[in-house]
Amino acid sequence: MNSTRRLLLGSALAAPFARPSFAQSGDPYVIGTLFPMSGTNAEYGTVFTSGAQLAIQHIEADRMLRRPIRLQAEDTQALPQQAVVGMQKLVNVDHAAWTLVGFTAVSKAVAPIGDRAKTVMVNGGAVGPDLSGLSPYFWNVIPLAHLETRALLPFLTRERRVKRVALVYVDDPLGDAILSELRNELPRNGAELVGSFSIPRTAQQFGPVAARVRQARPDAVYIASFGAQQSQIIKGLRDNGVSTLLCSYSAMGLDSVRSLPEAEGLVFTAQKMDFSGGDELTKRFATDFQARFNRAPTIYNANYYNATRMFGLLAQGIEQAGGTVNGETMRAALLQRRRFDLVGGTGEFDDKGDMMAAIEVLEYRGGRAQRLAG
Amino acid sequence: MIAYLSNIATLAAIFGLLAATLNFMVGQAGIFSVAHAVFMGLGAYSGAQVALLLVPDPFLACLAAAVVAGGLSLCLALPALRVRGEYFVAASLGLQMMAVTLFTEAKGLTGGMGGLVGIPQPRIFGVVVPVLPLALVALVVFLLLMAAMQRGSFGRTLGAIRDAESAAEALGKNVAVAKALAVAFSAAGAGVAGALFALHLSFVNVESFTLEQSVLIMAMLIVGGTGTLLGPILGAVLLLSLPAALSFITFIPPTDIGSVQQIIYGGAMALLMIFRPAGLLGDQKRGRSEA
Repeated sequence: MNSTRRLLLGSALAAPFARPSFAQSGDPYVIGTLFPMSGTNAEYGTVFTSGAQLAIQHIEADRMLRRPIRLQAEDTQALPQQAVVGMQKLVNVDHAAWTLVGFTAVSKAVAPIGDRAKTVMVNGGAVGPDLSGLSPYFWNVIPLAHLETRALLPFLTRERRVKRVALVYVDDPLGDAILSELRNELPRNGAELVGSFSIPRTAQQFGPVAARVRQARPDAVYIASFGAQQSQIIKGLRDNGVSTLLCSYSAMGLDSVRSLPEAEGLVFTAQKMDFSGGDELTKRFATDFQARFNRAPTIYNANYYNATRMFGLLAQGIEQAGGTVNGETMRAALLQRRRFDLVGGTGEFDDKGDMMAAIEVLEYRGGRAQRLAG
Repeated sequence: MIAYLSNIATLAAIFGLLAATLNFMVGQAGIFSVAHAVFMGLGAYSGAQVALLLVPDPFLACLAAAVVAGGLSLCLALPALRVRGEYFVAASLGLQMMAVTLFTEAKGLTGGMGGLVGIPQPRIFGVVVPVLPLALVALVVFLLLMAAMQRGSFGRTLGAIRDAESAAEALGKNVAVAKALAVAFSAAGAGVAGALFALHLSFVNVESFTLEQSVLIMAMLIVGGTGTLLGPILGAVLLLSLPAALSFITFIPPTDIGSVQQIIYGGAMALLMIFRPAGLLGDQKRGRSEA
């Protein structure tokens, strides 16, 4: 009697964890996400996930695939160790056909696992140039940061008459790449880098940095950071008397920055996306996103929509050709097809799996991002 | 599934070694440090550089890691150990913060924030070997060493220092040397764990050696029970396997998964400390509040 009761109790407790061991032909395709869903970067995880959720909704509504899709989320807290545990689970337990990643350290940590298992990893959030070519199965659907910086400089120097630029940058590969880009490209655009101020990733007080920025007397301050720190830098600079033009890259496309009063007039680059006047796919994305999540989409939403839609398009082609959907067949299909209709326009991939896309220049005015150029 | 469980077991063995070696400092010698991740980091970078620049031999990587972490800990411990108790906690906190900055800035050795990528898998005589058996062997070796030391005169000296440092000194014990050796041994073990961590992940960066990591290792020790040989191992297994088990709950919406898991995880830890205040295997009389 006791053993029966224990068995029943054990079964009831284990029920939420129960899962079939082997994927059957009618089982759903598993798309895994390795995003920070808790901790200081959790806002990104929510933003990234909502884009993927809408893409799955559209793939299933359009009956693109013969099998349904299941989204399996793993919380990385944006840390490498947790990401490795999550990736191992996605690859070996969930048998994920496709994984979505963000954040540079997480991407680098999971790349060897995905490479060995031949599981595709798609990044739509991190923009460190060192993410290019991590693995044949690691692709980027976001233009890497140095390309964005290069696209911004002609606008700054010609349209805003900027001659002196100061850089506040986080001390990591992203910041180093933007520093190198500004050093090389500003003179070619008739301007100069008058100061570069490195900050630790964990810094939260920017009064001393603001004082040094003021001393450099720049026409514009470029901010190369990400996460919660971005808003703190903007506020720190403004509160400490830096009234000059602030500029940055696509990491500023977050609600927390957009709603910040001090971010008024911030100029930043992003992938070109016309949510209201673009093609049918882009308009459908924008309309349905607003309807489902009750807010306007951001670039990150679109990137992870595209990253998930890529799976739908590649798997659809493989299914129609009678092939098996796995990392190897999807990589072959990617290299064969190269160009895809995505939100924002056509995305074209190079041999490394990096997507090239048009860049636009945006400005925050009245809590909204307005297009200036591109 | 086996590969996934093997990964969890590997991390549990590595963190078990970290918690056990920290226990040698805290439980045996009464030296409370919140900088154990620093020595893990020193070992991880040393082992990774050996594998990247010389040969991916795990024994050589572990040896280099133990020498670097143990050696540097001696340099740091001798001046720092002049302070006692909670003052050493503050000193180790300073060391932790300084080390993170050094790991970030010494880009030639550590790769800076970008870390070291593409660390080759460990090979013995040219054959790739998984990290799990290596980590288990390292764990057993260090546990045996600690058990032997605990029973010997060195262990008794450390116990005397922990219970009454002034009395031990008055009896002629060389407190500074004994404490420095305990720290060096503990740091060498943490270094070996760090090297195995680097070989297992094939990537290391400073984010794995922050204060949060040191606190996590301390939590493993406290949850398992300080001063016991197997308590830290149990704590490591529990703190690593609980979040992994929670990720199997299927009914949580993807956008809420992080917060729900954190609430369950935090609640379980709080309950554990209420009902087992001295840790799972610790002496419960020591853990209870006197008030």
